[in-house]
Amino acid sequence: MPNDEDIIPATKPESFWRDHRFLLLIIVTVIISIGLVSVSLFIYNVSGSAQLDLSRPGFQSVSSKVERNKQTQEFSTTGTVTTETIDDFVKQYDEQASRAKAVDAFNGDPLNPDALEFTDISANP
Amino acid sequence: MKQFSRLCILIAAAIVMVAAVPVHAQSSTLNDDQRDRITANCLTIKNTLSQLRASDALLRVNRGQVYEAMKTRIMDRFNARLSNNGLDSRGLSSLAKTYDDRLTIFRTHYDEYARQLDSAIRIDCARDPDGFHLAIANARSKRTVIHEDVKRLHVLIDDYRSSVIDFKTNFQRVSQD
Repeated sequence: MPNDEDIIPATKPESFWRDHRFLLLIIVTVIISIGLVSVSLFIYNVSGSAQLDLSRPGFQSVSSKVERNKQTQEFSTTGTVTTETIDDFVKQYDEQASRAKAVDAFNGDPLNPDALEFTDISANP
Repeated sequence: MKQFSRLCILIAAAIVMVAAVPVHAQSSTLNDDQRDRITANCLTIKNTLSQLRASDALLRVNRGQVYEAMKTRIMDRFNARLSNNGLDSRGLSSLAKTYDDRLTIFRTHYDEYARQLDSAIRIDCARDPDGFHLAIANARSKRTVIHEDVKRLHVLIDDYRSSVIDFKTNFQRVSQD
């Protein structure tokens, strides 16, 4: 038979969270979400994906100009190797190589200070 | 011992002074007129930089796809076909590896350049024309490095083709024997 001293009422903080379990769930969920989004954004920035993301503000003008349809035909890894096979490969290789070398990318000097910074724009109509 | 300590301090001070000179020289390359021009044209320069950033990003994406396809869809698959037929493709595989390494360097250099350009755009050129000028100068040198990477990739593409022709010559010779 328990006496009166054995019956201890629940402490107040415990009863508070027990009564507000849904609120606790929401808070924990929000904290976890913020943590995961932070990690994702960190990876997005550190991996260099951000530099290639043309859906960012300021890049929409060029995002439609991404070459999506020019799929390169894969060279088959199966089959025998004959002189004709090598000739076919060279033909395919030349097509792709001409595409790769068609543009002398990042040439020119658009960041030349004489042209970019020190040109008197007000003097040019 | 005391004299040795003094000598060490003097040497350290001399090193610091020598190291500081280029930085000072670099940051003070602008004269007042140039500073005024940057301040006056600040918004226009930033707009130009933003346009360049967008067009270079597009160039990076499109060129990157083509260079990547060259490796994964052409070179690697041809090397695999040779290996599957028990033919020696070590020379071609080595060239493909070199090409892949160079492609990785190209990606890294572009990333560094884009970050540098971003940081230049973020600088308030009206308040800090010297810092802005320095940031653009750094971006400029990084862009030059990317162009060098592109040229090396093109050379490697030619080298691989030459190696395939050499392989074909050897293959024909061995087939005839």
